[in-house]
Amino acid sequence: MNKPLPTTHPRLATGASRHLAMRASLATLGLIALLCLIGPLASGHPYDQVYRDYVLVRPSLFAHPDATETREALEGIARRMRVRVEALRQDGEVVHLAFSADRPIDTRALRAFERSDVFGPARIVETSDKGRRLSVDVPAKRTVFLFGTDTNGRDLFTRTLIAGRISLAVGLLASFLALTIGVAYGAVAGYAGGRIDALMMRIVEIVYALPFIFFVIVLVMVFGRHFVLIFIAIGAVEWLDMARIVRGQALSIKQRDFVAAAEALGASAPAILWRHVIPNAAGPIAAFLAVLVPRVILLESFVSFLGLGVQEPLTSWGVLVADGARNIQGSIHLLIFPALFLGATLGALQSLGNAWHGSPGAGHH
Amino acid sequence: MLRFFLSRVATAVPAFFIIVALAFFLMRLAPGGPFDTERALDPEIAKNLRHIYRLDLPLMQQFWLYLQSLAHGELGPSLHWRDFTVSELFAKALPISAALGAKAMLVAIIAGTALGLVGAMSKVRIGPHAVDGAAIFGIVLPIFVVAPLLQLGLGLTLHVLPVGGWNDGAWQNQVLPVTTLALPQIAIVARLMQAALIDALAMPHIRTLRAFGMPGYHIYVHALRAAFAPVVSYLGLAAGNVLTGSVVVETIFGIPGMGRYFVDGALGRDYTLVMGTVIVVAAAVLLFNLIVDLILAWLDPRVRYDSRPR
Repeated sequence: MNKPLPTTHPRLATGASRHLAMRASLATLGLIALLCLIGPLASGHPYDQVYRDYVLVRPSLFAHPDATETREALEGIARRMRVRVEALRQDGEVVHLAFSADRPIDTRALRAFERSDVFGPARIVETSDKGRRLSVDVPAKRTVFLFGTDTNGRDLFTRTLIAGRISLAVGLLASFLALTIGVAYGAVAGYAGGRIDALMMRIVEIVYALPFIFFVIVLVMVFGRHFVLIFIAIGAVEWLDMARIVRGQALSIKQRDFVAAAEALGASAPAILWRHVIPNAAGPIAAFLAVLVPRVILLESFVSFLGLGVQEPLTSWGVLVADGARNIQGSIHLLIFPALFLGATLGALQSLGNAWHGSPGAGHH
Repeated sequence: MLRFFLSRVATAVPAFFIIVALAFFLMRLAPGGPFDTERALDPEIAKNLRHIYRLDLPLMQQFWLYLQSLAHGELGPSLHWRDFTVSELFAKALPISAALGAKAMLVAIIAGTALGLVGAMSKVRIGPHAVDGAAIFGIVLPIFVVAPLLQLGLGLTLHVLPVGGWNDGAWQNQVLPVTTLALPQIAIVARLMQAALIDALAMPHIRTLRAFGMPGYHIYVHALRAAFAPVVSYLGLAAGNVLTGSVVVETIFGIPGMGRYFVDGALGRDYTLVMGTVIVVAAAVLLFNLIVDLILAWLDPRVRYDSRPR
């Protein structure tokens, strides 16, 4: 039951369509990686900046504030300043305002404009009626929330891309860890052969029967919920298949003449493993890596979804999707955008692995 | 066949005990304890609690005691749900999770086989590609994305099905969780089935049947028997996947199954509860793998005679 499971049938994967699929998925991956690297710098929003005036804003290409948002923010400020808004006229970026109150207006209260997310610093144009009437010019800030904002008023575009950094980084690091452990373990088992091999593979079989989600939960318990440590936990459970594959390769490679020659020349076992066995197993290792990376990313998002992974204010696609799932009623954008990025990444990696040699998509656990 | 069965059991039993031991000691490595609260407990009370639950004994002795009670079929008292034993908690939750998982597996096998059959049988060139392409979506979209989308579409917008809850297992409440849980498995089974069927249909014995002028359904029955092997061998993995998925599905749909005990038990350091879930899950997975092995051996005699451990 443990041989790689064929999915795309070799007879289905013709040369041309394979190349097309490969290029398309590479382009998608490159685009997403580039966006995640550069996007947060260009978006103009720190990922943990809270915009109190813009909670659960819908995604749009246009700049905020719009007319209603201006009015609402203004009413809030006026209430806090204990003044009435007498006149409001918007002239491009600048809002001309006139206030009145029963008592002289304390101009220091105008600082509320600076503190809001909607306006810039206010400039007093004129005071009249012994300070009871006040004309002010206030510039409106122009803020774009491409993907809208979350329940805390943070820019979802930036957060999605920052989450992508985390998800991709964890995916790569954990895959690398799984690769290292799996290759070393498998190569040693296969090369040693006999009893050692049987014992080592029996251990793999036993760990395999352990429900891996439990394993991850316990490892997260042991290591704590730190982002660097998640990938250790994931890497520690995902090396099993790699070990199997490399062991199978090592078993056949050690029969080859060049290994016998190296042994005859007195090369040590580690040297033979490093120089001959592992390089010759590179093909299947690389092919399996294409399956491993999406699996690890999925696992990370799964662990984060359960609240065991990356902690706020840092985030990952799993955390964002979990947030979105809690807010589907009314704020569907919170789910759609992170899910789209996650889905596109997984899809691209998956079809990359398929195109590579039409093999295990089935390892989806 | 009996020999094969015994050799499989002989590997499963020690595996079970190693898993139990591994889980027991790994969990104790984790910092924190079951009685940690926001405000530290009075040291005397904490000491008493630890004494009552025998957590003050040496670890090896605790493990031995645990194995003894396990031999009597007892999973011990929950440390967090103070008035319940783990068995009592599971008595309510396990049937729900088991029903959910079994239905999802059944749906996956039937729908996946049907889809694979359609793909492999289709006379048009695009047929198999269509099944393959559709399956990629099923494989790639994580359960926790599919579930809220289904809730939104069928529950909140169309008002056809309830968004969540169990409602004593009313079928309306089961449709969405089972569908969500089954979808990725349907996709994988369909792809496996299709690939295996295309292979099987090209085999010499099928050609012979065709040459004899056998009717179409007859040929497909023979091809299916050969094609079932990879699907059946995947089912062992699928059981694990469904189990993992059910944790998410139960969380999203608010179903009172085993799922919550997984995460809550581990986070609350409820040692006995976590051990209970590990034991149930490990036993289920091992048992399922055993059944899968037996079906494989029944389908393909070569497996029976080559029963050395892999």
